[in-house]
Amino acid sequence: MDERDAAVVAKARDGDREAFRALVERHSRYVFSLAHRMTGNAQDAEDVVQEAWLKAHKQLSRFEARADFRTWLHRITVNCSIDLIRGRRHREDAHDPADLEQGPLSERGAETQPTPERMAASTQISDRVNQALGLLTALERAAFTLRHVEGMSIDEVGEKLGMKTSATKHSIFRAVKKMRQALEPFVPSREHAGSQLMGRESK
Amino acid sequence: MNNHLSEEELILHYYGETDRADEARLDGHLAECGECQSAKAQLQRVLALVETAAPVAAPPGFERDAWARLEPRLPSPRSERRWTRAIFWFPQWALAGGVAALVLMAFVAGRISGSDPAGTNPAAPGLAQAGGNSDVLHTAVSDHLDRTQIMLTELVNSGVNQADAFAGEQARAGDLVAANRLIRQSAAQSGDEGIADVLEDLERVLQEIANAPADVTSNELSDLKARITAQDLLFRVRVIASEMRNRTRNDREAGDRSPLRPSMS
Ligand SMILES: [Zn+2]
Repeated sequence: MDERDAAVVAKARDGDREAFRALVERHSRYVFSLAHRMTGNAQDAEDVVQEAWLKAHKQLSRFEARADFRTWLHRITVNCSIDLIRGRRHREDAHDPADLEQGPLSERGAETQPTPERMAASTQISDRVNQALGLLTALERAAFTLRHVEGMSIDEVGEKLGMKTSATKHSIFRAVKKMRQALEPFVPSREHAGSQLMGRESK
Repeated sequence: MNNHLSEEELILHYYGETDRADEARLDGHLAECGECQSAKAQLQRVLALVETAAPVAAPPGFERDAWARLEPRLPSPRSERRWTRAIFWFPQWALAGGVAALVLMAFVAGRISGSDPAGTNPAAPGLAQAGGNSDVLHTAVSDHLDRTQIMLTELVNSGVNQADAFAGEQARAGDLVAANRLIRQSAAQSGDEGIADVLEDLERVLQEIANAPADVTSNELSDLKARITAQDLLFRVRVIASEMRNRTRNDREAGDRSPLRPSMS
């Protein structure tokens, strides 16, 4: 683990409030980015940051001194993001079961709606990717992120999100298709591979 | 060539999650079919972009805002006493009158002897001991408020049919009543009326919880929760808890001045 962290974590574990504050200030930006990638909007990400630190604070005594703090915090953040997504899903189920599968997150006012024009205008790959992610529904985004970025198996993703494996697969398929459609124009394609991929029928 | 991989099959293949039954067929096809190979390569290029992208960054100053929002929600760790040798809100009380201090001392002394593994504290422990550990007072009072907050929060958020959970909260409420009374009396005697008021409302609710029948009905439970909510009790407890933390911090920043010890003699 980062040597600066090791000393501060040890103090925080002993209940040193200032040490814990130092950890919060040092790692909150990382936690925010991670939560944002999972949830897709700043407000949810901020809430996840709070929950993640509360949980970290509570569990700090169980943190293994030899482990990497950032890795540990990463796992907590992913779990808190999942809790938020699942919690919302249950609440919205009572309202409108299809809500999460309807418009992408970006249509819910959380982010600027990515349009093809905006996509083309953005010069940074990062912006393009983040805009493309904005096209996914909350579930698609969570499933895709857990599989693609966090490297969980589809079974694990389904377990985490409380979905059947087949439903998880389809969320990931839809997510990848949307990502491909949004990002393909920016990938130098050889042998018209792009159009080949586009033309593939779903089974 | 026939039997090209579907997009779904390509995606599963990319993630190494091809169904075992399909593995041989898909691998065999991919090995021979240039079209599918380039389709897979294209998918790889697209998805690789996701990894190279920088994540969305938090707004400037985010880490400080995060802490400001987080801190009032953290339970006060025991060892907070390390950074606060200066006392909490206790100085005012101590200065206001020895009686208030005595009441609180008795309470704190009980806690000290309760947690003293060596059992060196007699039943009527010396004030010197508690006075010499003035930070323990702070810890005791803030612990009390934190535990009360947690208990109330759990109660308010519990489902209507969680009789088991309620029994647990009841036991905790019973424990909290006595401590609450001592602190409330001390606050009242020292003229800290705002705090005493909150503690008085709190005490009533704690008693109500502690004395509720074991087979409390879900209606009664809802009533109780509604009253906690109507009185804004959680919020008010939170306010005095954070008020105390501010006093501690002020004391600390003022440089560990500690009026308690001289005033105790
Ligand atoms: Zn083929």
